[in-house]
Amino acid sequence: MRARARSLALLPFAAAALACAGPRPAWEKPPPPIAVGPVVPAERVHRTKLDNGLEVFVLEDHSLPSLEVGLAVPRGAGIESTEEAGIASLVVEVMKRGAGDRDALALARAVDELGATLSVSAGWDSASVSLRGLSEDRGRLFGILADVVRRPRLDPREIARARAEQLAELGQQDDDPGAIVSRTLARTIYPEHRYGLPQDGVPGTVTRLGPDAVREFYGRIFRPGEAIFFAVGDVTPEEAVERARVAFGDWKGGDPVAPGPDPPVRSPPARRVVVVDRPDLGQAQIGLGHDGLSRTDPERIPASLMNTVLGGGGFLSRLLSRVRADEGLTYSVGSGFDLRREPGPFIVRTFTRVPETGRVVGMVLEEIERIRTTRPPTLDELEAAKTLSAGRFVLALETPASIAGALVDLDIYGLPPDSLDTYRERIRAVSLADVARSAQQDLHPDRMAIVVVGPASDLVPLLEPFGRVEVVTLGGRPRPR
Amino acid sequence: MPESAARSACAVALLLLLLRGVGASAAGLDDPADRMRVTELPNGLTVLTLVDPSTPVVSLQMWVKVGSKDEAYYTGLAHLFEHMMFRGTERLPPESHERLIEARGGQVNAFTSRDVTVFFADVAADALPLVIDLEAERLAHLRIEEETLASEREVVLEERRLRMEDQPDGRAFEALMALAFTAHPYRVPVIGWRSDVESVTVDVCRSFFRHYYAPNNLVIAVVGPFDEEATLAHIRLALGPLEPSEVIPRNPTKEPPQDGERRQVILFDLRSPILTAAWHAPPTGHPDAEALDVASLILSGGRSSRLYRRLVYEEQQALSAQGAYWELQEAGVFYALAAVRPDGDIERVANSLFGEIARLRDEPVTGEELAKAKRQIEVNLISGMDTSHDLAARIAQDYVSFGRVRPIEERLAAYRAVTAEDVQRVARTYLRDDDRSVVRVVRPPESAAGAR
Repeated sequence: MRARARSLALLPFAAAALACAGPRPAWEKPPPPIAVGPVVPAERVHRTKLDNGLEVFVLEDHSLPSLEVGLAVPRGAGIESTEEAGIASLVVEVMKRGAGDRDALALARAVDELGATLSVSAGWDSASVSLRGLSEDRGRLFGILADVVRRPRLDPREIARARAEQLAELGQQDDDPGAIVSRTLARTIYPEHRYGLPQDGVPGTVTRLGPDAVREFYGRIFRPGEAIFFAVGDVTPEEAVERARVAFGDWKGGDPVAPGPDPPVRSPPARRVVVVDRPDLGQAQIGLGHDGLSRTDPERIPASLMNTVLGGGGFLSRLLSRVRADEGLTYSVGSGFDLRREPGPFIVRTFTRVPETGRVVGMVLEEIERIRTTRPPTLDELEAAKTLSAGRFVLALETPASIAGALVDLDIYGLPPDSLDTYRERIRAVSLADVARSAQQDLHPDRMAIVVVGPASDLVPLLEPFGRVEVVTLGGRPRPR
Repeated sequence: MPESAARSACAVALLLLLLRGVGASAAGLDDPADRMRVTELPNGLTVLTLVDPSTPVVSLQMWVKVGSKDEAYYTGLAHLFEHMMFRGTERLPPESHERLIEARGGQVNAFTSRDVTVFFADVAADALPLVIDLEAERLAHLRIEEETLASEREVVLEERRLRMEDQPDGRAFEALMALAFTAHPYRVPVIGWRSDVESVTVDVCRSFFRHYYAPNNLVIAVVGPFDEEATLAHIRLALGPLEPSEVIPRNPTKEPPQDGERRQVILFDLRSPILTAAWHAPPTGHPDAEALDVASLILSGGRSSRLYRRLVYEEQQALSAQGAYWELQEAGVFYALAAVRPDGDIERVANSLFGEIARLRDEPVTGEELAKAKRQIEVNLISGMDTSHDLAARIAQDYVSFGRVRPIEERLAAYRAVTAEDVQRVARTYLRDDDRSVVRVVRPPESAAGAR
């Protein structure tokens, strides 16, 4: 039996709605009001702290005989200097290549023998290692996790291999026009800040990363004081805590983590239009953006609802309705705030056939200007954005692993642990004035970075109405006009 | 003394926990699909219901038994038509379907494959009646008009540029299938050839709708927390009046045997060349399917697998390498795919990859490799039961392919029975050099990418 997240079930509503489903079609009835209340199954969540400061978090769920164990730290690429860009990605990859008594191949074999999956990741604000397998193998799952987190070999030969792969992957990204837009947009929005370079770095920085840098950065971010251990699945809290104590109880920490670079300044200060020349493409990949909000910004909920109306709400949003549904100019267009510890970017992404690029960029800028000035969100739009957000939220917490991931994320940003339980109330409380204010404060069409990848000779005349066009090569170097 | 006492108490506690906790295991697994109920309506509609009160999410999926393999004259029609299903009805303007469900926070989407077209909505339980009414509305009263077709055609052509024309992976795969299949409609890309998508007319769409979107060509699966009787009553009321189709045309073409290796080179301005290959393999449900799955995991399941170890780790020529068995209804394919490093040599990658395929034919796999692959399959099968969406997809897919749902235990037993001899036998039967089609995507000699 799959027993999980019972408190999420909206069974009373289901029964009521079914009873009145008659000849009158259900779409004529308005959506039910947003349900509020706790979503975290408190009776199955267990939290404690070890003496060395390690948070231990267990979400018990016996519906399937499987178990995920992992450890996350609240630091990632965001604390790198621009000179060492890409080191966090390299460090977690090398951790996967040999730990404890096992070299790279022996570790891979130990994981594969269990049918398990060992995942490592480094984001802007966190790094994590996790291992998913069957609960009957939990002793070995805990053992491998502890080795990878505490005793990675960081073997110089493996560092050289992993670095060469990271460089090759950066090269491969040149074949993906969407990836070129993302990295060029970041560089245009944040020319001085770490956020201006991709998480995985650039060839110029990655080439310089060696064994000393890897060891130093590993020691800088993997320490018990700020880390959180998590176990989700078929295990009792008593056993999980006991095993965590055995695996991590004597793990010693170092000094507190140095804060990252200063927050980015407001940028770009004025509009910039950049074309990355790829003469062979028939489709223009388009990105627009500027600096945005941080993960802990009190304005993030109004901003998220405003963005749902603008471009984050699928066919309910103005951008997809106009550019795709009405005009057939694209397959996809969307906008969003990338919330990081420091203000991450607000970005609009789309694509169209090359000759229509000017029209599409013009429409996007026009919709952004309208939502700030002549057409602020209407009450109907706001209500739809709220029911959409509250509904998506419930769907996104369907599995124990997704609930655990959301709770660990709160911990990483130091947000209140009851944030999930209060989320729908906070959504409900947002007013029309709040979203109108967000549109005015958080959107800046006058100082947007506009980046297009495609054939420059066709694109430049189409984009000149929006500002002076800079043409660059794939590597970002200016190309003479 | 206190310290050592604490430590031994701790050890005893752990031992007790160990002894107590060993019960839960994959054996004797509770398969939720056992509780599935099948209802046939008089008009031929099949409804699969599976009540699961433990989740907040209901997934309703409508599987239409039509894919690109069923197209005549206009390739890409099945996929373009999938798009048209969202372009309004007699009572609802275009995109209402998505908007109404998204306004409840639901996820709504669709996909088309070579065999089927699938529409799904994942919603909170209280939105299930809405989803049923919306499906009934578009099946009974879809509007197919010149204006919406014209704009949707442009949307699909942008999707084509995105996925196929400007993406080396997409180009490679499109070419591979067209090379491996010379006659069977699996040779055609699901999104269609550009000139066909540009030419589809309203009349062609209407006739396609009449033939294939009839209740006797549909399977609807509903999984999650809902009242089964009330939902079935609602479905009978809403979808019962639909008229069945008398003719459901199918392509009779079978693929003739291949009589030697086929090769194609595509020139594309890229940095990371692509090597991909395909062999003909049996269709879904064939007794050799499990051995082919095991072979694919031995080739590329995890970092101790053969292709990762050799091509990525030891020789450092590829960024990724995989081999996989792809089951389709009328004919299967075993394919291999390697992304060559920008500094790598595609011919060296080809030699190593085909060398590993030859090794599967020439010598039995080891006991350790076999056990590892079976364990990986077991974990995958078990973790695939996590969401209403995945469960609905599993029961609908099985029902469409086999007219029943294969229990997890039955599938596990079939995988457990695979021997090293079986793997070698299927490798010799299917992965033959003279049945191979190979596509290379490489830089043109005067490449801008080379200078980037």
